[in-house]
Amino acid sequence: MIVAAIALNTFREAVRDKILYVLLAFGTLMILVSRAIGWVSFGGEDKIMTDIGLTAIWMFSGMVSIFVGTGLIYKEIDKRTIYTILAKPAERWHFLLGKYLGLALTTLVNLLVLAAIFVGYLWLCRAPVTLALGEALWLTFVEMLVVTAVAIFFSSASTPILSAIFTTIVFFAGQLTKWVVDLGAVLKDSHPWAGKVLYALYLVFPNLHNFNIRREAVLATQDRLQMAIPANELVACTVYGLAYTAALLLAAHLVFRRRNF
Amino acid sequence: MANTSELAIRTRNVGMIYNPGLFARRKVALRDLNLEVPRGSIFGYLGQNGAGKTTTIKILAGLQFATSGQAWIFGLDTRDSRARRALGFMPENPYFYEYLTAEEMLDFYGKLSGMDRPTRRKCAGALLSQFGLAHARHVPMREYSKGMRQRLGLAQAIMHKPPLVVLDEPMSGLDPLGRRDVRNVILSLRDAGQTVFFSTHILSDVEDICDRVCVLNQGRAVAEGPIGSLLTGKVIEVALSASGIPAEGVPELKPLAVRTWHDGVLYHVLVDSEAKAQTAKGLLERAGGTLRSMQPHTESMEEYFVRVTGAAGAGAGDSFGSGPAETAQTPQETEVRA
Repeated sequence: MIVAAIALNTFREAVRDKILYVLLAFGTLMILVSRAIGWVSFGGEDKIMTDIGLTAIWMFSGMVSIFVGTGLIYKEIDKRTIYTILAKPAERWHFLLGKYLGLALTTLVNLLVLAAIFVGYLWLCRAPVTLALGEALWLTFVEMLVVTAVAIFFSSASTPILSAIFTTIVFFAGQLTKWVVDLGAVLKDSHPWAGKVLYALYLVFPNLHNFNIRREAVLATQDRLQMAIPANELVACTVYGLAYTAALLLAAHLVFRRRNF
Repeated sequence: MANTSELAIRTRNVGMIYNPGLFARRKVALRDLNLEVPRGSIFGYLGQNGAGKTTTIKILAGLQFATSGQAWIFGLDTRDSRARRALGFMPENPYFYEYLTAEEMLDFYGKLSGMDRPTRRKCAGALLSQFGLAHARHVPMREYSKGMRQRLGLAQAIMHKPPLVVLDEPMSGLDPLGRRDVRNVILSLRDAGQTVFFSTHILSDVEDICDRVCVLNQGRAVAEGPIGSLLTGKVIEVALSASGIPAEGVPELKPLAVRTWHDGVLYHVLVDSEAKAQTAKGLLERAGGTLRSMQPHTESMEEYFVRVTGAAGAGAGDSFGSGPAETAQTPQETEVRA
């Protein structure tokens, strides 16, 4: 009950914040102009529209996670609202988990709203709406669960500006992990240490590239039930995302549990 | 030592050192603090700014962890969340979520305290009426004045009827009517069998409502006990006023008195003991004066506070204002190099 109360309060805080609506408006705008960009391109209007729409949802969901998430814990400490919460019979992990779930719910609602606009727009433009899109949106949500956990982790230990910088770095570095490990493999023989460092980076940073199946989803337009990736891969990516999230929340808890306020 | 089962709060050798890093400057906020707060009492916690009052309260509320010693609430370690079931807490200058209305805020805190929905609604309505906030129940907190926030802070602290209520400067920033209301709430809590532990700068309130007090100075408890045992009623000054004395006064009184002055009608003499007052009375009558009044003055809480904290110097003027009371602390005592 305590976790749910804190989560719902966090969600309420987010939906009463103007930044969410600004991000939603820009996301919607990007989805709507995707058709026009398709017109000025050479062929494949539907594919460009789908590609831009999925990218807009990914990008603006990421922004919600980063910009709302990184200030969450710090704001509670800075404004001293945390005093009255932690003085209740709440464990510190209740507070962290509640904040996390509240932000995850905000991200989910944001993603669902953008997804509904996107799918409705595809349908209006008679572009194919496939199961592969659902897969891509699901993995975008799992990716946002990880990014939100990264934001909470940094927010529990530093200021909003630093948290935003660190989370943004992780957000983009996480997209490059596949290339990092490939580069490490190439350098393994000529520069063994560089190879090891790159492999270590690959292990530490979340492999957000795993969740990017937007290209596969765009290409899977022959059949409405065609999948972008097989179901077992989808499950494996989901389990990886949830495990990484759990590890980050545990790390945030370890930082937070003995902190003095 | 009192029977521990009769204690609402107990601390044993609690110490708190801030920033105990390898090269960081350390500040000793509390040292060997031993407190015993009996159940059902009103306990006043006094000290200059920076004496360690808020640190103690934060340790009790589970917001900070003592670097040494231990603290208990009704026998449960304050680090245990079960101890906080028995606790209602209001921080100094309470802050709340600006986007919540008073009703939503009380509902939120009620949920955190484990109250069910019907009880939350009933209690929130009753408290908002009791604190004169019923008209503003749907107004977002950002539009609340400081006094309204203070009252709401008190409401959220007592909403779940905790057996122990800890208040950090509950009278701070309130007008006289607001202070009176808070005093009445504290008294009504005691009447209901609850224990109230509060810090304050307003010593007259302490004298009026507290059963026991503790005076903290530079992180140490320098006095603790029932008000009656601390303020012994001993006469510390006697003020005499006489008419019929010429403007130049009575020269024989000058070495005896703390102060003498003539206001044009009456001649006033202030002496620091009852024996001296009798001598002064005789001298006044011998000089042809008529004694109009002779008022003994016993030690007030404020005078007691100044005496035990040694705050009569530079720090005293600031201790109940906004200045840094840390100036009263010696560097050797408050800061040590690791």
